[in-house]
Amino acid sequence: MGLELDEGRSTVTTKGRVNSPQSDTGNLIKDSALGLVPETLPHYLDLTVAIWDAGPLSPSDIELARLRNANHVGCVMCQAVRYDIAVADGLTEDLVDQVSKQGIQAGLPERQELIVRFVDWYVLSPSAHDADLKRCLNEQFSEAEQVHLALLMAYFNGFSRCAVSLGGMPDSMPRMEISVPR
Amino acid sequence: MQFWFLLMAETASGHKASYGEVVEALPEIGRQFAALYRSFWSLESVPAETLELCRLRLAQLLGSDVAWRFEEVSLASRQRDELSRWPDNDGFSPAQKACLELTEMHAMDARSITDAQADAVKLHFGEVGFVALVQALGVFDAMIRLGLIWDLSSMKVDQP
Repeated sequence: MGLELDEGRSTVTTKGRVNSPQSDTGNLIKDSALGLVPETLPHYLDLTVAIWDAGPLSPSDIELARLRNANHVGCVMCQAVRYDIAVADGLTEDLVDQVSKQGIQAGLPERQELIVRFVDWYVLSPSAHDADLKRCLNEQFSEAEQVHLALLMAYFNGFSRCAVSLGGMPDSMPRMEISVPR
Repeated sequence: MQFWFLLMAETASGHKASYGEVVEALPEIGRQFAALYRSFWSLESVPAETLELCRLRLAQLLGSDVAWRFEEVSLASRQRDELSRWPDNDGFSPAQKACLELTEMHAMDARSITDAQADAVKLHFGEVGFVALVQALGVFDAMIRLGLIWDLSSMKVDQP
């Protein structure tokens, strides 16, 4: 979002900083500003599908990590979106509410609590040594699940910060379900 | 041996893991992320040397010695030495300074990037270059964070 002067006052606007390609392929990534960079586009497309399809974590667990990250970054669009395969996997809005609040909410299942703690560690203090978190992750998650969690954070954190940087983000958006762009 | 214990054991024995060794547990996603990372080093829209300056600045801001020591693209040693003092240094071009300013804002809070800062990058590299830069910053930042949480031996993004 940019700053524009309005009758002498500074106000936040929703003006985008780039023009998206004039394509209408139905693929959210190809038709977005990401579609402007030919060298990276095929890799974004392949990585997106791999994150959802090629790892051991459930779509619901992936979505919880993605939404927790979206709150950290303040990406309104990322916060509003729900991936349909995560909803079909059992993701509930009660669970989304719990992971969307600051801190760790009481009553969160242990596995989901660890996902939240990992996301917070990744975003806020990746250079800190948290032996307790590592021990708990080892108890609850396999090696492949832990690598999946880190790589999906690498993807979603970078993606959401890119979305915010490009501007055009409204102050609020209604919840909307989308499919994984394939 | 469990994941974090595996990494810690490697550290204790003097052998830290590489990216490729860690993502052996999940090679398909590891390969796709590595391919995305590598795609930034041959862009038409932004020179690799400028992106390397931004990657190194992120390494400084995130406090990653491993990422700072790593050389993805060869730079003049003077630029490396003076990187933290880039605003007042004539050794950096206006285009590089525009990208470094955006890098610092992106690292602190992407929401605080101003239109003027975005326009400064677009002036030199166009809209495609601006998009490519904010993509690159997200992926470089991610690679540095993975290096920190996995205590990687190097920032070399090798294949699983």
